[in-house]
Amino acid sequence: MSERKPYIRRQDRLWWASRRYRAYTLRELSGVGVAVYGGVILAGLYSVRRGPDAYAAFVEWLSTPFAMALHLVLLAAMLLHGITWFQTLPKTMPRLIVGGEAVPQKTITNAALGMAMLCTLAVVIGALS
Amino acid sequence: MADQARHAIELQILRYRPAQDDEPYFVSYKVDYTDEMSVLEALQSIKDDQDGSLSFRWSCRMAVCGSCGMMIEGEPKLACSTFLRDLAPGPVRIAPLENFPIERDLVVTVADFVKKIESIYPFIMPKEKKPVEAGEYLQTPAQMAAYEPFSDCINCMLCYAACPQFGANPDFIGPGAMALLQRYNGDSRDTGSRERLDLIHGEDGVWSCTAVGLCSEACPKLVDPANAVNQNKTNSAFDFFLRALRKEHRP
Repeated sequence: MSERKPYIRRQDRLWWASRRYRAYTLRELSGVGVAVYGGVILAGLYSVRRGPDAYAAFVEWLSTPFAMALHLVLLAAMLLHGITWFQTLPKTMPRLIVGGEAVPQKTITNAALGMAMLCTLAVVIGALS
Repeated sequence: MADQARHAIELQILRYRPAQDDEPYFVSYKVDYTDEMSVLEALQSIKDDQDGSLSFRWSCRMAVCGSCGMMIEGEPKLACSTFLRDLAPGPVRIAPLENFPIERDLVVTVADFVKKIESIYPFIMPKEKKPVEAGEYLQTPAQMAAYEPFSDCINCMLCYAACPQFGANPDFIGPGAMALLQRYNGDSRDTGSRERLDLIHGEDGVWSCTAVGLCSEACPKLVDPANAVNQNKTNSAFDFFLRALRKEHRP
């Protein structure tokens, strides 16, 4: 009576492009933005090492429309990466039990995000003063 | 029931009969429904009144048994807790759970999944076995809170259907089995986490996971399998670096 003939559906090679996984794909893609920004910072550091002329040229490049537009895109990528990073954080740690009860994941995310924002603020204020 | 307004909705169901068909295809059915009618009830009415050969799994009708998982409008859902009123006006596409072979119509192959949950030593391994007369193994509410949600899994496999990495690598142990593993690893009465280590290492262990996170969103019991998988990445990494420091021999 048995008429087994299991049918195996192939996974779409472009699964990551589908609507269902769009948020995930954008999150992963934002990592590329972080890497590119790291490259920009490194290029700046390298120009400092090469001398005042090179550094001046780097600063001048920063004010070109292309560099401005690039930094806007990179800022968006950094923000997305930062926020999703802290959203993922509670998934990567053991359940946090305080006073016999689990701390909600949202609380962990918000606390870590708040800390990150405070640190960022401190660095920005320190750099400007 | 009789005085309630009835509306018609179209269900497009992926059918596959292994004896006759080479590949699955959608068949359309029209169903009259009332506001409180679930997708499962619609399938039952089709089977009763329109086509007795339609196959699907179900048992409890109240999101406890985990049998009626299927893709409803492209999302993994329990048919018993998904209501037609939320899917109106339709048509509603219904397919077997993604990432699993189709046995027949909406019935998928579960053998690999069962093997996986068997493989994780799904029982408490106490440090010292004591006779029943010696009493219970005690646990505080805080110790229970550390693993309790992971024990709510009903093995419905929706998380596997939500996981693209399981779709890419069917040998990946996957979210459900890892939640069960963490249910025991996280239990203060258990000392079996060493035995379970081999199951979390490697690509077929936790490292296929890229933290997509949809497994936890698909879970009808709020088990949060993504948490179970990702905290075991830490355990796997620790073991990788620290195993040389351990004194006892591992087989």
